[in-house]
Amino acid sequence: MSGTDAFSPKIVAYVCNWCTYLGADLAGTARLEYPPNVRIIRLPCTGRIDTNMVVKAFEVGADAVLVSGCHPGDCHYTAGNYHARRRWMLFRDLLEVVGFDMRRIHFSWISAAEGRKFQQTITEITEQTQALGPYRPYEAVPARPQCGTGASACQPAALADSPAQTQLRETAARLLSDGAVKVVIGYGARGPVFITSPEDAARLVWNETCFANLTTYLKRQEVRALGKPAIVVKGCDERALVVLEKESQVDRAEVYTIGMGCAGMGQPKCAACDTHQPRLANQTIASDGAPAAAPVDRYLELDLLLARSPEERLSFWTAEFDRCLKCYACRQVCPMCYCERCLADKNRPQAIDTSPHRQGNFAWHLSRAIHLAGRCVGCDECTRACPAAIDLRLLNLSLARAAETKFGYRAGMDPAAEPLVGAYSLTDKEEFIR
Amino acid sequence: MQNLYKPDLMEVIGVRQHTSDVKSIGLRFQDAERARQFTFRVGQFGIFSAFGAGESTFNICSSSNWRDHIEFCFRKVGRVTEALWQAEEGDTLGFRGPYGHGYPMEEWRGKDLIFLGGGIAMPPIRCAIWWALENREDYGKITVVYGARTVGDLVFVDELAEWAKHPRVDVIQCVDPGGQTPDWTGEIGFVPTVFERAQVPADKAVALVIGPPIMIKNTIPVLERMGAQMSDVYTSLENRMKCGVGKCGRCNAGPVYVCKEGPVFTFQELQAMPLDY
Amino acid sequence: MTTLTQDALRKLVGEWIAAGKVCVGPVRVAAGTVLFTRLASADGLLLDGWLRPANSIKELVLPRHEPLYGYRADRNRIELLDPPETVPEQIAICAHPCDAAALPILDKVFNWDYRDEAYNRRREATTVITLACTASDAECFCTSVGLGPDAERGSDAMLFDNGDGSFAVRTLTDKGRAVLGEAGAQGGRTNPPPVRFDAKEAGQFAAGHFDDPFWKLHALACVGCGACAFTCPVCHCFDIVDERNGHDGMRARNWDACQFPLFTLHASGHNPRHTQGDRQRQRIYHKFHMYPEKFGETLCTGCGNCARNCPVGLGVLPLVTEIPHAEPV
Repeated sequence: MSGTDAFSPKIVAYVCNWCTYLGADLAGTARLEYPPNVRIIRLPCTGRIDTNMVVKAFEVGADAVLVSGCHPGDCHYTAGNYHARRRWMLFRDLLEVVGFDMRRIHFSWISAAEGRKFQQTITEITEQTQALGPYRPYEAVPARPQCGTGASACQPAALADSPAQTQLRETAARLLSDGAVKVVIGYGARGPVFITSPEDAARLVWNETCFANLTTYLKRQEVRALGKPAIVVKGCDERALVVLEKESQVDRAEVYTIGMGCAGMGQPKCAACDTHQPRLANQTIASDGAPAAAPVDRYLELDLLLARSPEERLSFWTAEFDRCLKCYACRQVCPMCYCERCLADKNRPQAIDTSPHRQGNFAWHLSRAIHLAGRCVGCDECTRACPAAIDLRLLNLSLARAAETKFGYRAGMDPAAEPLVGAYSLTDKEEFIR
Repeated sequence: MQNLYKPDLMEVIGVRQHTSDVKSIGLRFQDAERARQFTFRVGQFGIFSAFGAGESTFNICSSSNWRDHIEFCFRKVGRVTEALWQAEEGDTLGFRGPYGHGYPMEEWRGKDLIFLGGGIAMPPIRCAIWWALENREDYGKITVVYGARTVGDLVFVDELAEWAKHPRVDVIQCVDPGGQTPDWTGEIGFVPTVFERAQVPADKAVALVIGPPIMIKNTIPVLERMGAQMSDVYTSLENRMKCGVGKCGRCNAGPVYVCKEGPVFTFQELQAMPLDY
Repeated sequence: MTTLTQDALRKLVGEWIAAGKVCVGPVRVAAGTVLFTRLASADGLLLDGWLRPANSIKELVLPRHEPLYGYRADRNRIELLDPPETVPEQIAICAHPCDAAALPILDKVFNWDYRDEAYNRRREATTVITLACTASDAECFCTSVGLGPDAERGSDAMLFDNGDGSFAVRTLTDKGRAVLGEAGAQGGRTNPPPVRFDAKEAGQFAAGHFDDPFWKLHALACVGCGACAFTCPVCHCFDIVDERNGHDGMRARNWDACQFPLFTLHASGHNPRHTQGDRQRQRIYHKFHMYPEKFGETLCTGCGNCARNCPVGLGVLPLVTEIPHAEPV
């Protein structure tokens, strides 16, 4: 390229040490020419390639990214590439919903013997990216807010002073006076309460303000210090317990669950809910009032979003993420975010910028979403907690749908199911991998 | 426009490695005019930085009489200190300061000086010792008790030996039991124990005690037994800092900002402060 | 002019935007959320009724992310680059008295011996047009911290809702007069919220009960996010970060919060405030004891944003009203 056509694409290639890197080396020794635009970053295995590295490449100016490793069955570490493949299957859906230009994100299996394939792949990607032009996803113009009037998706069942509340208080008082538990984690007038004596059980309420997912408290050291808990869970909250147990964070024998049948709390998630009844609680208290309506399609809003062009989607998410303050309310209320030290709080390396600027906000939300793939139960606490009203629900739905359509998987529904991202299958689909 | 957070650019003029994870670095201002006008009081601190890694807070451990450069000493524990560890002569680092109150060396005139330090706490004591030696007539007897876990953890060992050669200066080095080497000629024991053994009168003295909380906790009773007033026993507090100028709200220990109203406090002041550091 | 219709105000806002001024006002950004937002036009500006935006206008003087300076690194040579000298003129439209009063309160810490010129430049460039409150909700407590629905502190001009699509105008400072002309209308009825607690008592309790089990008990529900601090008009704690990409880098300050576990974590691993109870106490202590002792100001304007935004029902008012009225032991 010379003269007036000054654009020369920057391609970042994350490659595994044992296959693709040697394949690139072979291309070199075999004198196979390929464009110099690619910057090769060598890692031990594709299984090590964190999805935030792909995002980081675009942050620092890459016009296209390639991730490449050993063919299935040939991984030097046996299964690293299988894990990577499953992760990419989900991550691509997330990037697509967010509006990234998927023509700039490539995956391939290139072995140490495939110098020619490396040459061809790099040449194709470079030519393709040259034609597409420079990529500046972080310069998208944010969309104008489009918002409704504020009416809820569905009306909550009127539950004040119900028989269920009375039964709940009696149950709590009994558990405490019997010494079966040391604390009952439940809902109070203003929010979560921690009842440690039978007399205080009267502070527990069961009404249309009981939205919080209390299972998040099972990870907090100050709460664990109180002793064996009983916890009030709705059907949606209980799914979180299933996931936590699967991930060895909670010993079910050490938690007494008081399940509350619920016809809905008036939150957007409630209209699509199909877990109104807890299924696994130690004790279930039936809901009063009218039964819940049949659930609507839970992916309705996601479909509406996907009907728009990638540029419009990117514009939409740019406006959403621009409002992010990095208060981490989303993370702190989430029962699945239990890491003692979050990736975002680590600085060697600083995988996710802590600054609430555009790159930092995209990096955070994309990372968090993918870390919740197959784990998020859709309790929507993150959405409710966000002081900037970012539609995190929609972001999480993209991965929930990927999990459901690609793997028939819904987090927290089947206590016997293997974790989605922790496992892999030899038959995971890879039509998107060269 | 004055930018409160903009650092001075400093040239690394020397790097000394003291232990497997402790180095001290000498810096010279790149701006000659700034070098000429820069002064500080011993006990003040600076915010030193590696460009690309970030900023970190360290005491300025050189004497303020040394006009041509400043020094700081650090242990390699995290991102910034790892980057500082890589610095070589000729590299550029950042410096903001001097911040905080230094030691009231003028008030200490005419008194005996007792310096008690543990491990990486020697650098903030070192600057005061050099100042006292450079203004020798202003101060009485000087006693230094400095200890570390092992011999390999002692820092500024050559200077410790040099100080001992000065008149009316007693330097006692110690290591924790089990931390000695076969040829160790110093004391064996924790700093408070060794200090008590030394029976140093403290009624006409000012003491500077810096070290891990357990060392301080056990040293105070000894000082009291030796006749010290808590208003004459000083320490330099550490707390996590960022701005250094009393704005970012991070370093307050109870009602005081350690960066701006400290880091030097007497134990009388410390006893009135809640345990927020 | 002593009366301004909503249309006339929108027209003025349009002119200010066209003149390159940064205008910030309440905008509905999602179905249930109104935020002070930078206006691209006067269209989205909400002027009807009483709204308490879920954020504050402190962003105008202390941005959530503020580059302090840039640098260019070439081997071992560093060149420092200053941020631009001038800040555009900024106008806050329909702030509340609890938002406006925050600014003179923040002036104190940002000029405490060391003058923070980055803050001062923005402060100098900011004009605050305050809309006096005609209502309040259960989370409001401005009257408990010495303010009220028509308090003038920090405002350059006051608007009083006439209830008929127009405002009565009173300009208070030169800045106010520069944007709205000379105007001296009086305010109308105000409906102040009842006083709910004694701010001095709250400060004394925090100071005298540092290790009281009260804090641990009442902080159990706190999940340790920064929603309260970040939506507060006067919380101002910040972090300084270094971000580098190849040869270019910059240092910036970002909002930070005492509720985060890492806020006071030492490199050694020691954390003076290692439980959430310690951190909740710090918030009340800073706001009601330390800041008043140092600067003679309560670091709270009673806006209630902390409680409204807290996902678990905590906040200054819920916590302080639990403080026992007994004398310290």
